[in-house]
Amino acid sequence: MKILILVMLLCSSFAFSSGDTTIHTNNWAVLVCTSRFWFNYRHMANTLSLYRTVKRLGIPDERIILMLADDMACNARNEYPAQVFNNENHKLNLYGDNVEVDYRGYEVTVENFLRVLTGRHENAVPRSKRLLSDEGSHILLYMTGHGGDEFLKFQDAEELQSHDLADAVKQMKEKRRFKELMIMVDTCQAATLFNQLQSPGVLAIGSSLKGENSYSHHLDSDIGVSVVDRFTYYTLAFFERLNIYDNASLNSLFRSYDPRQLMSTAYYRTDLYQRHLVEVPVTNFFGSVMETIHTDSAYEAFSSRISDSKINSDMPFNQPSEQDLKEELQNANIPSDKLKTEKEKCPYTQMRTDFNEKLEKLENVDTVVNLSIAVMVVVVIVSSSLLR
Amino acid sequence: MKEKKKDDGEMAEELEKNSYRFWIWSIASMIFRFCIILFPENINLSSRPELSTPLTSLCRLAEGYWLKQASMSPYSGSMYHGSPLLLSLLGPLTVHGIEGQWNHHLCSLVFVVSDILSAVLLRATGQQLEKAYRLNLRRLGLLKASRDRGILPCGDIAALVYLWNPFTILSCVGLSTSPIENLAVIVSLYGAVTRRVPLAAFGLIMATHLSLYPATLVIPLIFLLGYGLDAPPRKLFLQTRDREGEPGQDKLTRTTQLPFLWKTVLHFVFWVLVWSIYVLVLCSLSLKQYGGLEEMFKRTYGFILNIEDLSPNIGVFWYFFAEAFDFSRNYFLIVFQIYMFLSILLPLARRLKHRPCFIAFVYLAFSSILKSYPSVGDAALYLSLWALFVNELTDMKHSFFIFCGYIGFSLLSPVMHNLWIWRGTGNANFYYANAMGYACFQFMFVEESVSAMLNHDQALKKATAEMTKN
Repeated sequence: MKILILVMLLCSSFAFSSGDTTIHTNNWAVLVCTSRFWFNYRHMANTLSLYRTVKRLGIPDERIILMLADDMACNARNEYPAQVFNNENHKLNLYGDNVEVDYRGYEVTVENFLRVLTGRHENAVPRSKRLLSDEGSHILLYMTGHGGDEFLKFQDAEELQSHDLADAVKQMKEKRRFKELMIMVDTCQAATLFNQLQSPGVLAIGSSLKGENSYSHHLDSDIGVSVVDRFTYYTLAFFERLNIYDNASLNSLFRSYDPRQLMSTAYYRTDLYQRHLVEVPVTNFFGSVMETIHTDSAYEAFSSRISDSKINSDMPFNQPSEQDLKEELQNANIPSDKLKTEKEKCPYTQMRTDFNEKLEKLENVDTVVNLSIAVMVVVVIVSSSLLR
Repeated sequence: MKEKKKDDGEMAEELEKNSYRFWIWSIASMIFRFCIILFPENINLSSRPELSTPLTSLCRLAEGYWLKQASMSPYSGSMYHGSPLLLSLLGPLTVHGIEGQWNHHLCSLVFVVSDILSAVLLRATGQQLEKAYRLNLRRLGLLKASRDRGILPCGDIAALVYLWNPFTILSCVGLSTSPIENLAVIVSLYGAVTRRVPLAAFGLIMATHLSLYPATLVIPLIFLLGYGLDAPPRKLFLQTRDREGEPGQDKLTRTTQLPFLWKTVLHFVFWVLVWSIYVLVLCSLSLKQYGGLEEMFKRTYGFILNIEDLSPNIGVFWYFFAEAFDFSRNYFLIVFQIYMFLSILLPLARRLKHRPCFIAFVYLAFSSILKSYPSVGDAALYLSLWALFVNELTDMKHSFFIFCGYIGFSLLSPVMHNLWIWRGTGNANFYYANAMGYACFQFMFVEESVSAMLNHDQALKKATAEMTKN
């Protein structure tokens, strides 16, 4: 009975501390535009703008999963073929040379989206379409399109419900596919989409509350449709001021949303997220700024130096474990000496150990081998001429 | 007596002329090889599957040596599958070049030297065999002094066949280590024939160490050391003894075959143990940090027995194992490797135990057909050993047909390979059909030689029976 309780305590402590013991190693972004058709130009522009920002701040294409209907740039109604703008001044062409869309057109379905999140793909799905995150990943999940109370409309044909999303996130947590997850949703009544979330380590922000709509920012009279949504517009305004070296925190990002300008309330949920938003730099999710430790040697220095540097900041309870290791090593040395003294009694094994030590000291085994081969040939010739 | 002296004098002259001719031809073959090695650069023989197998390829040896120099196990990555001793010997040679030439010229030099050595040893073996043959025929009463010239100098013929065989030249020039393996086998045969027991044991151990299959030579070597050289069956000598009927002439009718000498055989076993322990210690020394002997056995013998590499060669196994299901793979491996042991070794040993050299030839021929990774270097070896028996095998049937078959299939093999791999107009079946035809002709060749040998014994029996009647 007591053992059971101990075991349960251990397990719970494991579960509790598992989020803390892993190191943040990489950043991923999953950017989903759930609308198609020309009049939803702004949703694609939203997603592409965020794609550009995220890439500019350091996340490489191989760690971005971009899901777009992708029917704007080459649409017959597009006056500017192969160009997508998010501003009527047309300064920035979002559909440049290096946009890598992973799921396009009819591949953007709820099923594929959930498969990407949970990682349960068919065997033939290529690596570029998989979210290959691990327990050290920070994932940014951005979704935009038409939504409502606890649902998000996908491609005008299906819907993703809030408990589907919560289920997928729970599966991700179980499979340790993320260390921290940030969900950003820009739709009408966006905050309801993450009502059902319960997994720890998740931060979520939506562009509007239940009963509110999210509005587009402005209409581009040249293109003929609205080109960007307000929430994304002000998010981009915040990020255009940043470069990869800036230390702006998530708190400043969230505080930058003005309900009067957005015409909706940007609601964020931090109850599942342990860290203080003031301490978290935006590049933890929106960029990829890693702490690099430069070593000259091959691989040995990695673990010890990481543990040294991280001990002080994140993981205070690892320190005693290192000390324990040192003690263990010292203890391990003692019994081998004892064994040695016992073996000295038997002359044969002593000879063998001496021989082995000599061999280990021999640096040039090759010359010994070559010499022995030469000796062998000489012995052969001599013995064969003598013995007939 | 004078006649005999004159005959002896003539024979000595002839022998001198013969050896003069032999040396001229062998030096010519050396020069020929040097020409091929030094001049053309684009023949690219080392990439031919007929010449270099995963076991004998020199490029793999160079890779294994580089890995060893980079402090990694030479067997990592499944490139090199040979002996670590060969690595220490030939490895440095693959690195040092001569004034910017391709690095493998030094190694080719080593192979030319080993070819010459093999030829010289073959010649000596052949001379011993010829002497024994002549003596036995004389003792059977089938040979008079004037007919001595009918006996061909099988040593010279075998050595020259070895040197000038296109297979040997190709495997010498084509950067494969089969000349060294052939040398080891020939050394063991030479040692057994001239009754130098340590040499025979050394040759056997090195040959087995380098490629697994010469281990079957244990049987003919023991017969050679126990019973002596090849001789007609003992029954014939008993018949002649009956014929003579005089106790004084008993010594003359004695066969060159000895009663089984246990002492020599035990001596041989002792030396085999000594050399095998020495070689194993050396190998474990050189592979100390990389897994030791277990790793070596797994990667050399295990590689051979498991047929892990299924790239095309002139053998018959690669195609089959590319298709075999996984669950039956082990079964087929066992069947193919044991087939040789059960069906070939023991019956032949029993039937032809008075001709141990010939048994060695047949074993080598079969192992070159049924090896895991055969190459033309093995064919070179057994073809020259066949030439050691020209005196007995003069009546071999269908020899022209088999000879043409050999030439045809060897020439078609690169053509089929080109059609399959480079042009894409053929497929693997073309190349495998060629390999199967080649194997078929090899089987025919061995079968014809064995039947010719048995017929020869029959003919001797008839001849002695006639003489007894007369």
